[in-house]
Amino acid sequence: MPRLSASRREALTFYLCISPWLAGLLLFVLGPMLVSLGISFTRWDLLSPPIFVGLRNYERMLGDPLFWQALKVTATYTLLYVPTELVGGLALALLMNQRIPGIVVFRTIFYLPSVISGVAFVVVWMWIFHPEAGLLNVALAQIGVVGPRWLTDPHTALSALWMMSLWGLGRAAVIYLAGLKGVPKELHEAAIIDGANPWQVFRYVTIPLITPTIFFNLVLSMIATFQTFTSAFVATNGGPLDSTLFFVLYLYRQAFERFSMGYAAALAWVLLLIILALTLLVVRFADRWVYYEGTRR
Amino acid sequence: MGLSYQLSNGDTSMQRSYLRHALLVILFAVLAGILAACGGAARTPTAVPVERTVVVERTVVVAQTVEVPHEVVVTPTPAPQAAGAKIVLRVGTGDSGEGLTPHLKIIEQFEKDNPDIQVQLEPVGSGDYYTRILIQIAAGDPPDILQIGDDAVPNFVGKGAFVDLAPFITSKENPLDTSIYLPGVLEPGQWGGKQYLLPKDFSPLAVYYNKKIFDKYKIPYPKDGWTWDDFLKTAQALTKDTNGDGKTDVWGVQLPGPWTTGFEYWVAAAGGRLISADGSTFTGYLDSPETTKAVQFYADLYNKYKVAPPPADLNAFGGGNSEFDSGKAALRLFGRWPQSGLKTNPNIDLGVVGPPAGVKRANVLFWGGFGISAISKNQPAAWRFLRYYVGAQGAEVWKNWALPTVKSVAEASGQASDPIEGVWIGELNHLAPRAYISTPYWGATADPALRKVLEQVIIDPATDVAAALKTATQDAQKALAEQK
Amino acid sequence: MRRYGIVGRALALALLFVVAALFLIPLLWMISSSLKPDYEIFAVPPQLIPNPPRWANYSEALTFLPFGRYTLNTLVISAVTIVGHLLSCTVVAYAFARLRAPGRDALFLVVLATMMLPYPVTMVPLYILFRALGWINTFLPLTVPAFFGSPLYIFLLRQFFLTLPTDLEDAARIDGANTAQIIWHVILPLSRPALATVAIFTFQASWNDFLAPLIYLQNPQNYTVTLGLQFFRTSYTTNWGYLMAAALITMLPVVIVFLLAQRLFIEGIAMTGGKG
Repeated sequence: MPRLSASRREALTFYLCISPWLAGLLLFVLGPMLVSLGISFTRWDLLSPPIFVGLRNYERMLGDPLFWQALKVTATYTLLYVPTELVGGLALALLMNQRIPGIVVFRTIFYLPSVISGVAFVVVWMWIFHPEAGLLNVALAQIGVVGPRWLTDPHTALSALWMMSLWGLGRAAVIYLAGLKGVPKELHEAAIIDGANPWQVFRYVTIPLITPTIFFNLVLSMIATFQTFTSAFVATNGGPLDSTLFFVLYLYRQAFERFSMGYAAALAWVLLLIILALTLLVVRFADRWVYYEGTRR
Repeated sequence: MGLSYQLSNGDTSMQRSYLRHALLVILFAVLAGILAACGGAARTPTAVPVERTVVVERTVVVAQTVEVPHEVVVTPTPAPQAAGAKIVLRVGTGDSGEGLTPHLKIIEQFEKDNPDIQVQLEPVGSGDYYTRILIQIAAGDPPDILQIGDDAVPNFVGKGAFVDLAPFITSKENPLDTSIYLPGVLEPGQWGGKQYLLPKDFSPLAVYYNKKIFDKYKIPYPKDGWTWDDFLKTAQALTKDTNGDGKTDVWGVQLPGPWTTGFEYWVAAAGGRLISADGSTFTGYLDSPETTKAVQFYADLYNKYKVAPPPADLNAFGGGNSEFDSGKAALRLFGRWPQSGLKTNPNIDLGVVGPPAGVKRANVLFWGGFGISAISKNQPAAWRFLRYYVGAQGAEVWKNWALPTVKSVAEASGQASDPIEGVWIGELNHLAPRAYISTPYWGATADPALRKVLEQVIIDPATDVAAALKTATQDAQKALAEQK
Repeated sequence: MRRYGIVGRALALALLFVVAALFLIPLLWMISSSLKPDYEIFAVPPQLIPNPPRWANYSEALTFLPFGRYTLNTLVISAVTIVGHLLSCTVVAYAFARLRAPGRDALFLVVLATMMLPYPVTMVPLYILFRALGWINTFLPLTVPAFFGSPLYIFLLRQFFLTLPTDLEDAARIDGANTAQIIWHVILPLSRPALATVAIFTFQASWNDFLAPLIYLQNPQNYTVTLGLQFFRTSYTTNWGYLMAAALITMLPVVIVFLLAQRLFIEGIAMTGGKG
């Protein structure tokens, strides 16, 4: 009587398990994605039917100085933010992991800002960055430093947005916290019994065991940061002088303010390819530094 | 063999954690209950003391050649309805906040008089309003009645999103006498000589002044018909460093930063225009001596005479620039939108005067209006509501929230002769044409270029205005060529 | 607990307080602004304590629009979405983490890739799809996709499952358990931290989601909390005081969920079986 081999059965189980995701992929993801690819070969203002123009949009992109500016702004910001989220989030998680009574209060304080609705979050920081009345410059004035004009100075606007985003570190920290909690205490204790100091315990026991979490946050951070939108939209609207013209903001503008949905779709696909390439890079090299304790590979 | 995996903690901590869980759940439920109770009567919110009027304005751009305005001839096909069923009209608006109150009031009155129609207002704050209606139109699913701003008219109307209202206006059953409107408020709703939208509200520019500051330094109030020179002198007289620390504490005038469409007033008052009348060229207009003079004067107010505070952020609207609001600036050049808040602001004793004349007197109009969607299936019903909404009956309600568009209502309510409201209405006699009328590509070409120039002169006092305008004109011209 | 020495612990504690203070300050400003009339918020010099506090901001902001209704709507959507995610993402993530099959790794890259396309662009095709299904103006477009897995949480759970040692599962398989039983009896109890994280994040994302409710919900009776919040930001002015008040109030449910869920992984759950 023919019987499926073990590996065949396993494969079948696999596909059965992921079938909800596959179905959703076909229905809600691939379809719209392919349609948007099709839109990228058209000129479409959303008000009248789309017109096929072939690769015009992609050609236009190459010669569009704002496209390059948007790439530059987004790449700079990502390079700034992703490492700080990694280090800062982990540091914050370590702080949140202390066993003291009332640690819940601190955890809540750190997590709270990342929960505040986008517009309100940015608005609070617009006040903090106010050149005369804002908390930051007033505090700097106390120590005799004249603060820059932050959001209206093309040299500091992007850095201001970066500083603002640090207030939302709690989200990454919570994930790191979950990862830290997954490290068995026995391993810590074993290492200490063997004579390791706290730093060594951290470096050789904790970090390797949370590399999956680090990997997760790294990839997620990259993907999300490349798609930054709300902060730029609300605080600076891309200015001053396009110094905070984030890619998705530029895209959104083309789609819904300039009636260039086709161009926006082309921009979106270029962004997708860039993020995909970067993620592939990270994934490809992940094996070198990510340690999964429970892997059957 | 059973699979059993136990928790290592003892029972007491489990009980404690359950207790804490329970407490939190109760807290949650109480909070939800409070919120639910607060939310109570949704339909007609109580009028709130601070009122806002909102005109939906958006700089929008066409990236596609518009040859001929689409003639959408639609034979209205009313949706089939069962006997006794109500027609549901969907109305999209970019108003939000307290600005919704007049809408809801008018709807309530209309539904009482027209029990066969139910009106569903679908409001979205204006920043995202266009996103939503564009998607709805693209999917063939827009509201029956749509509100749009003045510079969106060329695109939306040109692409056939609205029906020509002429057959409705001149119809026998429900006509509309368009002579009831104030001068200048019908035009923004027209395109290609036809009326597509009717005015909802409007605002020209004016100069607010704070009498408290004027009284304190014994400067006479600005008078109608004043010039740029008077303006400068007044602002200089009221820019003061009151505590001797080297920093200005009271400013002469709060200017709207790099706001491009508002800047058209300065250019018009200097006797110039930003684009040729036929919309084909910016050269000779955007970089003309008149435009240069306007930009230079504006920049000088910030950098040379230092009577205007440097902006805290570059959003003209909804930003953190509040010198006038805090009573730290004597004058403010802007539209009518924040007026109700200013009137109730204890830091301010409000006065309003028309903008100063350069070589001539000029003003620009900002406007929002309603029209009927071309693919609406309820056009006759929509028209019945529309003429009520923005006609004389609606104006009776609007007049408490904004300037009414109907002459008789403005006069009867005393607004036409009111020392403050009368100024706004009076400015309607000095309107210069907006730049977007000459070309549907304004938003994609010259608007960003002009904005860059304005940002630059504000950020960098050493900017050579003429050179910056020349560059801007070249960029705009190039962008215009690409559109064709 | 004397592992790290008194000095080390004191240092860590001090750092905790300093950083917490830094995080708190903008929050305090939010609270302060929520109690001021608009013209005072940007006053120079800044005043931390409003005088007198304008409590009316809260009552006016919340009653002007039916925030209670919006909250209810958002709660419903969030709750259903959490259930959907927990059900679907767990199973899918387990498969990616533990089961071998041809094409698995490539498919996982697809999971990642689906997170990379900016929303504005798939909005239009998705809207047309949902319109064809007749789901516009219902909660369905906001909740049903959750039952088909979400790449973010599939990714998160997969990473977490990979950190679990395989001993327990191997033992269970030897005992004859099938995949469903393994997931239910072995994986889930050990995954409380990760599941709690998924619940917290789902709730927060659903609560703060803006674009989807913006385009899919037409009747204001169906609006969510974020749609309500953006009402305070008209095109010409911002009702700062109301915005802050409403933002603070509407943030509370998420905080409460956080408090509820974070206790699920605060109690260390030690594994007693399968230690070799």
